[in-house]
Amino acid sequence: MAGRQVRTTKERPFFKTQPFPFLLRHLAAVGSVVLTRWILDPFQPYLKIQLIVLLFLLPIIASTVWWGMTPGILAGVAAFFIFNYFYIPPYRTLTVYSTTDLITLVIFLIVSLIMSQLIGRAREAVKLAQSREWEATRMYELIAAFVSLEEADKIAQELARQTLDTFGCQAVKVTVSQDLPESFSAVANPEEDITEQTPDQVMILRSAREQEGEIQIWRKENFSDKESRLLEAYSVQAALALEKVRLARSERKAKLLEESDQLKTSLLNSVSHELRSPLAAIKASVSSLRSGTVDWKSSDREELLATIEEETDHLNALVGNLLQMSRIESGALKLQKHWDSYEEIVKSATVKMSKQLQNHQLMINLPKNLPLIPTDYVLIEQVFTNLISNSVKYAPVDTPIVITVFTEGEFLHTQVTNQSPAVAEEHLERIFDKFYRITFADRVTGTGLGLSICKGIIEAHGGKIWAENRPEGFTFHFTLPLTLDGALPAIPEETVNE
Amino acid sequence: MSKKPLILLIDDEPQILRALKTILAANDFQIESATTGEMGIAMAVAQPPDVIILDLTLPDMDGIQVVQQLREWSRIPIIVLSVRDSERDKVAALDKGADDYLTKPFGIEELLARIRVALRHSEQGIGSREPIIKAGPIKIDMARHVVTRNDEEVRLTVIEFKLLEYLAAHADRVLTHQAILTQVWGLSESDHVEYLRVYIGQLRRKLEQNPDEPQIILTEPGIGYRFNTSDSSS
Repeated sequence: MAGRQVRTTKERPFFKTQPFPFLLRHLAAVGSVVLTRWILDPFQPYLKIQLIVLLFLLPIIASTVWWGMTPGILAGVAAFFIFNYFYIPPYRTLTVYSTTDLITLVIFLIVSLIMSQLIGRAREAVKLAQSREWEATRMYELIAAFVSLEEADKIAQELARQTLDTFGCQAVKVTVSQDLPESFSAVANPEEDITEQTPDQVMILRSAREQEGEIQIWRKENFSDKESRLLEAYSVQAALALEKVRLARSERKAKLLEESDQLKTSLLNSVSHELRSPLAAIKASVSSLRSGTVDWKSSDREELLATIEEETDHLNALVGNLLQMSRIESGALKLQKHWDSYEEIVKSATVKMSKQLQNHQLMINLPKNLPLIPTDYVLIEQVFTNLISNSVKYAPVDTPIVITVFTEGEFLHTQVTNQSPAVAEEHLERIFDKFYRITFADRVTGTGLGLSICKGIIEAHGGKIWAENRPEGFTFHFTLPLTLDGALPAIPEETVNE
Repeated sequence: MSKKPLILLIDDEPQILRALKTILAANDFQIESATTGEMGIAMAVAQPPDVIILDLTLPDMDGIQVVQQLREWSRIPIIVLSVRDSERDKVAALDKGADDYLTKPFGIEELLARIRVALRHSEQGIGSREPIIKAGPIKIDMARHVVTRNDEEVRLTVIEFKLLEYLAAHADRVLTHQAILTQVWGLSESDHVEYLRVYIGQLRRKLEQNPDEPQIILTEPGIGYRFNTSDSSS
């Protein structure tokens, strides 16, 4: 469905195989016959009439081949008259006396007409085949380019570029009107300052369901039938490609929604259980203390109060994890990267976890003079507390938990190794998924969010996190980039002591 | 203290108000409470309290705005309360003139300690410096620019001393990265926390018993630093 109708049928570069315009081609055809007569003139006494007839067929063939069917026919008619005028007695008249000559003339005319028609048709067919092939090639190029493109902006660019090339336009602007966050357009050949003006040709990109966009074309010459046919095919292909992108996007969206729905369900299941257990402990302790029926020994009182405080902290950590997870999920996790001292983060996390770590031996291998590292202190500290908390949960009592840090190229590599049982290879990647728990769900508490939060935080920092069964124990690895936007920290120089 | 110090609580959560009123009253404080920012400011004008405890999430206005409006006319110490993970808000409140912050949920001992520091500062008055500041084994003679550790002189560079001086002059209070950078380096707009990390590290190596577990210059994650003069090693 072309936006605007095309008016004339002037041929464009490829189709322009005739070197001359219409009138000139016909004049040339007549000229070629005249030329033949002029060349033959000196040889006339030596040539028999039959040979001359045959020689006159040559300019007719040549005219048809070079300039087309009608010039060929015109050449035939011209040859008929010239032959009659110069070579049939009485000479220099158009009268014919002898019947044989008349028959010769008539046959000559018929032969030349049929010949030029046949050659002309064959020539047209070749031309048509060539232009079809050219069209097919251009279409193929466009389709091949679209197949590998999955984003609407790239498709728009490619379409603009190829339309510009194929049709020799001054400028092409492709606007995508899908329900994207922002609509955009790709302009090919933007140096041309004419995109401000009204375009000479507008093509709507329409798919089965909706309008996907439009092509605006600036070109002084009008479009031929062939060209507008090709342009239409272009727009259909582009509409299809854009529709494919749109459908893929809505499919992704649907999948995401489904996932977040599943997330909510498992979250509710897991959370209601996880929140209730500390609440139950708090409620039981508080109501016992308040009941007044028992005269509590001070040590028991202390015990109950300690339970309340611990469980409150537990609840607080739980809520913090949930919040963090929802931030990571919704993409609202905003890093506040500063140049931080990694030692400090590790130390501060281990101090925070000292209560949980009381039944394990913590060992920290930090190299001296670690460089500053661009991190969000609070979040990286949380990665450590989550990994330590995970290690404490699964590793047997009185076994060591070892934190090892080393630099590795542009990254800082951290390992947290514990003596928990090896994890089957097929689970190794999935333990970082939300709510993924391998076994002993009854033995171990937690929301199943800790590791996936670690993953979210590390990836937001541009690092990687993975787990590995090693001879020395089960190991979490993660890496963090040592540079911020490719740069190292700028440290002021101050070497002079007082 | 003959008169009980007056604390103004600005918080809209009845549970928190109820708990804090009971606890603070039991600790010999007088309590007034307001449930909106506007009400809080009006009450502070009517009867200036000794300390203001301000929740950052209020129904009518942003707690940071409350700090800003209070600071236009008053130097009453303000302790802000906020939930975890809102470092940005805490830093904004501190940079607007709040004196300290606490993250909910907090232990009551922490709150009482912060109130005591705030009261001490308001008694001394801002800017009036003690000539000698002590923190554990460290003694800083502000006038003579001499720092000693266990009575042995510690040699500091110019910037190290400037940094220590600024931290110690505001002892026991949290100082944001930006405040320190502005005061010590004169960097008012830039965010060169790396300078701080390096110089704080150097100071710790010179002053702390165990630089890995600092007791004097404490890190407030994501916010800044605090110069700790209390002896407790917790």
